[in-house]
Amino acid sequence: MIVIANNLIQLLVILLLAPMVDGIIKKCKSLSQKRQGSPVLQMYYDLFKLIRKESVVSDTASWIYKATPYIVFSTAAVGALLVPISTLMPSVQFSGDIILLFSLLALGRFFMCLAALDTGSTFGGMGSSREALISSLIEPSILLSIFTIGLIADSTSIHQMMRAMTEVGNPFLHPVYILTFLAMLIIILAETSRIPVDDPATHLELTMVHEAMLLEYSGRHLALMEYGAAVKQLILMTLVANLFLPMDQLIPFAGEGAFILSIALYAVRVIFLSVVIAITEISTVKFRFFSIPNLAALSFILSFLGFLQYFVLGR
Amino acid sequence: MRIQDLQGKMEEQFRNHIIGSSPLRNELYLEVDSSGIKEICSSLESEFGCSLISLFAMDERENKGHFTIYYAFAERSAGLLIVLTVTVDPSQGIFPSISTKIPAAALYEREIQDLFGLHPLGHPGGKRLVFHGNWPENCRPLRRDFPLSSRPAFADEKMEFSTINGEGVFEIPVGPVHAGIIEPGHFRFSLAGEPILNLEAQLYFVHRGIEKLSEGKSIEKGFYISERISGDETFTNSLAYCQSIEKIAGIKVPDRAEYTRVLFAELERLTSHLGDLAGVCLDVAYGFAAYQIRMIRGWSYRVADELCGMRFLRSVNKPGGIRRDFVAGKEESLIALLKEIKKELEDTVDIVMHNSQFIDRVENTGILSNRIAVDLNASGPGGRASGIPYDVRKSFPYAAYGSLDFQVPVQNDGDVSSRVKVKVAECFQSISLMIQVIETMPTGEIKTELGMLAPYQFAFGLTESPRGENVHFIMTGENQTLLRYKVRTPSFCNWPALCHAVKGNIVPDFPLINKSFNLSYAGNDL
Repeated sequence: MIVIANNLIQLLVILLLAPMVDGIIKKCKSLSQKRQGSPVLQMYYDLFKLIRKESVVSDTASWIYKATPYIVFSTAAVGALLVPISTLMPSVQFSGDIILLFSLLALGRFFMCLAALDTGSTFGGMGSSREALISSLIEPSILLSIFTIGLIADSTSIHQMMRAMTEVGNPFLHPVYILTFLAMLIIILAETSRIPVDDPATHLELTMVHEAMLLEYSGRHLALMEYGAAVKQLILMTLVANLFLPMDQLIPFAGEGAFILSIALYAVRVIFLSVVIAITEISTVKFRFFSIPNLAALSFILSFLGFLQYFVLGR
Repeated sequence: MRIQDLQGKMEEQFRNHIIGSSPLRNELYLEVDSSGIKEICSSLESEFGCSLISLFAMDERENKGHFTIYYAFAERSAGLLIVLTVTVDPSQGIFPSISTKIPAAALYEREIQDLFGLHPLGHPGGKRLVFHGNWPENCRPLRRDFPLSSRPAFADEKMEFSTINGEGVFEIPVGPVHAGIIEPGHFRFSLAGEPILNLEAQLYFVHRGIEKLSEGKSIEKGFYISERISGDETFTNSLAYCQSIEKIAGIKVPDRAEYTRVLFAELERLTSHLGDLAGVCLDVAYGFAAYQIRMIRGWSYRVADELCGMRFLRSVNKPGGIRRDFVAGKEESLIALLKEIKKELEDTVDIVMHNSQFIDRVENTGILSNRIAVDLNASGPGGRASGIPYDVRKSFPYAAYGSLDFQVPVQNDGDVSSRVKVKVAECFQSISLMIQVIETMPTGEIKTELGMLAPYQFAFGLTESPRGENVHFIMTGENQTLLRYKVRTPSFCNWPALCHAVKGNIVPDFPLINKSFNLSYAGNDL
């Protein structure tokens, strides 16, 4: 019972917090550009507006186009059930659930690529081909990073891995954590279509990756696609926050108070990571498209070095 | 070289073909028979080092009984214009094409074919240029017997594009309506994966019939039309218009007006270049730099506000001078504002040009080779970035440029980075010119009376717009009106250059290359 309640809390927190992450990143970017920028809560307003609007569907679109928004959102939401925001309470877990998580996200992406091709518009096809290239480049580094952590934790369950990370003391004293942490940061940038891989703010269809796939969508379909992307982004940030910046071990007392404090600490770390992502976006320039493999290679090398470190130095 | 020497040399070399010649100011007019035009044009380009800067037709059937085609060449080192004229018999309606010898002529000849219905014999590609499939054939608006008010039928024909066949080669159509608030233009890319094999730009969606509209208009009305050719080149177009009218009237504009004109022309250049630089930064997702430069652009609008209260700089000029004394009493605040702009721009450029990721994006992107730039007569920052050291302000000094101190920045690589560097350097040159002008501006009158203009007089007006060489030609009609007003803005020559610069690059780099040229759609399509 408690396990299910905890999972529901976890789902709710992620669903509620996800649009805000976007707002925080946008706010930081605006401030760097001497602009006031849109309110932090803008994405909530946008989603609310879009849900009430009619969805225009192309005549040439098949069922894939209409089903994709629901698939993208539900895979992200199910993914959110698998990622604990706090390690203090038990939640649904089983061995290999981190692999399930990334497979779910990949499923959503697969359908997104198909849907972009489905309407036969100019930019959709370009978007999906680029998205497929980038995701296949970044995937080896994702797998290697999570397996390295899995080796340390001796488990492939996310909850077990997070618990193991709270017990290692200062993770930054071990090169393996620093290396996989950096690899994961690059993965987040690539997976959530951020500068230097993609530019979420651009209006130039010819340069788009993620946005090009959404161009045909409107109304509630668009709302679901954008919400799904925001949830996915927060899932990845939650993983990084709880795996590499664990704080639950610092709470000296137990009980409900500890759980609430742990969620508050989690929110603080998410905000911190949002600011880190915003600063990365501010200080870099979008890479030339064919330079993205270099970035993916960098991420892979970092995670591979982490992997080797584990065998040389142990935990 | 003096104009008499040139005249003598030409007359001797082509004595079989030249029917008559008359020097006028710095313009040498040569009447040529149509059999010799190809030979003379190609030798003008290869032996005399001239460039074709404009080619247009004129319907003179009413008073002379034929069409006339004007070939304007510029001898840039001596500041001379050589204008060849060829008559075309209306019953035949054909003239020899020179495009196989001079590639830059190809577009002009297609334009003449569309607007006058005269056929360029031996033209390599005969696709329509100005009008699309929905304009009926045999409807030639620039013939004088075509009434301005007529509404041609809608000819529903499909547009054709050159296709490249092969495995894995596909086309992407982009536009004419784009994201963002920009002008309409259709781009047809042929791709193999991401690299661009060919780009065909189908422009001419904004044809307003400016040349037809100005036929028979008064000098005053013609001026207002010239200001509306292209939004961000308002002042430079009006200046070229005034320049040709003043040449025809034979008047000397007071010095104070000439200096004020430089001030406005440079302000327009500064604003335009800052907009381009911000656009380049935004296209590589360098938000900080883009907004920083936009802020400085906002400051340059403050200069415009201070001067005349309008950012388009309209109704500043006037044939014969300027309308008001815009500068008197504002010298100190203007100089303070300009120095502030200069300092902030220096700091920003220092950051941007030392950002290795930014440099990686712009270097070797969109290379326009010197050879192609010369052949297509690419001018302005686009030409100067490809090693053409040509600036109208130096070669054909107008307004007060002859007595001011400035440099023309030139780069040789022809890539986006070179164009950015040229534009940055020109921004600083513009600021320094503006400060010089304000500091050394002579006092006195600001306008002279135009007087009566004789009919059938003609002159060229050349200015350096922010985008490059701007050529206006005016012929007066009876009763102080315009008989023919031909405008060739730099965008007309630079669009084909852009299409060449794009080849071999990848699709996501196209917006960046496009922005580094930042050509005008309206200025291209009158």
